[in-house]
Amino acid sequence: MQEVVVLGVGMHRFGKTGDAIVGTKSVGELCRHAVDAALKDAGVSWKQIQAVSAASSRFSGGKGWGLNGNDVVEDLGSTGIPVYNLSAGCAAGGNAFNVGYSLVAGGIYDMMLVVGGEVMPKGMIQTSGVEEATDPEFLRQRCIGMPGPSFWSTLARRRMYEYGTTEEQFSKVAVKARKNSVHNPYARFQQEITLEQVLGSPYVSNPLRLFQICPVSNGAAAAIICSAERARQFTSKPVTVATSTVATMTFDDMLPRGLGDAITDCPNLHTEARAAVLKAFEKSGIGPGDISFTELQDNTCYYELAFPEEWGLCQPGQSESLLEAGETAPTGRMPINPSGGFVSFGEATTAMGVFQIAELTWQLRGQAGGRQVPDAKVGLAQTLGLGGNATAAILKR
Amino acid sequence: MSEQRVPCVEGLFSEEGGAKLHGSRCTTCSTPYFPKTATCHNPDCTQSAIVPDDFGGRGVLWSYSVADFPPPPPHKFDQPFKSYAMGVVDMECGLRLIGQMVDEAAAVKIGSAVELVIDTLYHEDGKAFTTWKFKQL
Repeated sequence: MQEVVVLGVGMHRFGKTGDAIVGTKSVGELCRHAVDAALKDAGVSWKQIQAVSAASSRFSGGKGWGLNGNDVVEDLGSTGIPVYNLSAGCAAGGNAFNVGYSLVAGGIYDMMLVVGGEVMPKGMIQTSGVEEATDPEFLRQRCIGMPGPSFWSTLARRRMYEYGTTEEQFSKVAVKARKNSVHNPYARFQQEITLEQVLGSPYVSNPLRLFQICPVSNGAAAAIICSAERARQFTSKPVTVATSTVATMTFDDMLPRGLGDAITDCPNLHTEARAAVLKAFEKSGIGPGDISFTELQDNTCYYELAFPEEWGLCQPGQSESLLEAGETAPTGRMPINPSGGFVSFGEATTAMGVFQIAELTWQLRGQAGGRQVPDAKVGLAQTLGLGGNATAAILKR
Repeated sequence: MSEQRVPCVEGLFSEEGGAKLHGSRCTTCSTPYFPKTATCHNPDCTQSAIVPDDFGGRGVLWSYSVADFPPPPPHKFDQPFKSYAMGVVDMECGLRLIGQMVDEAAAVKIGSAVELVIDTLYHEDGKAFTTWKFKQL
């Protein structure tokens, strides 16, 4: 195995179709901006890229087949290089990073581009659109009507029941996230919000309110990765990929994902996320106590409280007190989502895994400005996607 | 005059003789499945042996949420939209099952005993389309 490093990263600021940030830009234009920035950051030319690992979108570009990597290659200039298009729902960006990492680590390529970008349709994410009685997602939406926010809010409600979490505490997560976003030029929302504003925002799905869940956004992110040996030609201080992992859910998982599942004694929800993160700890020899900060998939504030406990970053039931003591802020003992997270960015679904790599890289280089985690040495990233997909990555300096 | 009642998806459930979901069970490992399955998906099961099984009866509410906004298609609902609660229920038959609640959101409580019922979801072409729901006891 070769050691793999992140040589350069780039992003297009997230926004909403028609706004002053992304306007009417296509996913191709957003990706081009991110890729150009990543190439410039790395000091690498397009013709030096040996292969592309891209997140497949079902919402935009990709010729309707998720061929988003091919779009990027055609736009930058077709050089005949291999393209890998990866589909894993909202975990696709993380999967694309994992495949890029694996190919470089395995010595197949020396220099790769990892990219993800989206132009999202308005409103709550819809299912496949196929009215097919064998599709569990169709059945779930036709027979019940449980889109993402309602799914998340059953988890939030259960946490309130088990740990006494309050709506005010969920709101404080959002207040903390938006406080970080003020210092992130790539965040869609860059203004602080008050506790009163969060608690005054309408319920989308009680107990979760508008400012406690991520909207959909348009945006793109890119990373240039290469072997540590190759990196020496470009920089003396690359960010090292300690590991990158992928996992899927296990049969005993107790999340209500379809219509019904057998009751088991599995103590964890989201077994895929836990497995990806624990595998990352195991493979890298880096433990929860070594993590300087975490970028996790906060589709809703609930995840910022539940995930650190499920992964051993803190004890079960401890997240609320850490939050209230300011320990999840960039300057705290367990910084979570110093970028501002999905709640501040909105979700450009397949870009998110790559966006996290960009944030980890900036933090580890000490380039994160007002949201900088002091002396950040090791960063953990995690994504989650439909189908029971999850990824994790640990980067270090 | 009673309106004609039609399942919103054919073959998934029935209400004659009591609310029943039509699923399957593996007789080797006892895993219940809803909807039906052709084979057992339990990786620890030694021999897939699927038979039809009906699920109904009672359970305990594990959690719930509320649709404060209309869900996107392919969900269908009567106008004007009326918010509803959804339950996640641990059924005595061994399934953790999701479904709408008959009860008003404000009255729903985690830990409540509930029973499976068939109830109207929406109206179309002069018919009432039904689905399974939970009712607190």
